Amino acid sequence: MPIAREIITPKNEKLNVSRSLNLPHSPGIRAGDLIFLSGMVSVDAATGERSLGTVAHETRQILSNMAHMLESAGSSLERVVKINVLLYDMLEFENMNAVYRQFFPLDPPARTTCGVQLSSGLKVEIECIALA
Amino acid sequence: MAAGYGWPQSVAVRAGGYVFVSGLVAIDPGSGERNNGTLTSEAHRVFRNLKLVLESAGSSLERLVQVHAMIYDRIEYDALNRVYRQYVPDGPPARTVWSVQIIDAFKVQLDAIAVA
Repeated sequence: MPIAREIITPKNEKLNVSRSLNLPHSPGIRAGDLIFLSGMVSVDAATGERSLGTVAHETRQILSNMAHMLESAGSSLERVVKINVLLYDMLEFENMNAVYRQFFPLDPPARTTCGVQLSSGLKVEIECIALA
Repeated sequence: MAAGYGWPQSVAVRAGGYVFVSGLVAIDPGSGERNNGTLTSEAHRVFRNLKLVLESAGSSLERLVQVHAMIYDRIEYDALNRVYRQYVPDGPPARTVWSVQIIDAFKVQLDAIAVA
């Protein structure tokens, strides 16, 4: 029996950046017992606009939106198993961690953090795999 | 595709109903030659290779669930997207684009997870 594959979208349509920016990816895919989310950047949940700011601000906005995205699919931040964090500069690692800890206070998921180039002046991008 | 270069990795591993594909670069699957070129030409080659690998494993591009699209420079983001959408036109997989250094002067590398 092959694993079922299903597209997942946020209940708040403003957070569906794939659609609003016409990008060739889905917000997330559920495949069997796992949910795979595309890389998320800081977007204002009320307007759908990118919300540029400090690493702390962007991290908080992304993880709030990620919680919404996962909850839209019946999952939650507590069910994340792997996270990849992309930062524009590794110098900001601890600034990201300070906010990150608030979202994952206990038994945090496996994580990799890399310093990479990002688009449009954004400082943080986060993707994850979670249990459905 | 990787075996020919003696890299210590499998092209893909099937496990638990999923197929995990190693990072693929623009290598000619017939000759093993590196097809270094523009980001556009490399992306076409890599997607054709990905299709080949997935179909060999009993999966397909339509069954992709997550892709890491690695490009050598963020300035090529739109060039990548133009090729990308041709291969996954409907219900595309979750994706993150990583701008990183890639082996052998390649401009694009895709790694992927699909359902078998």
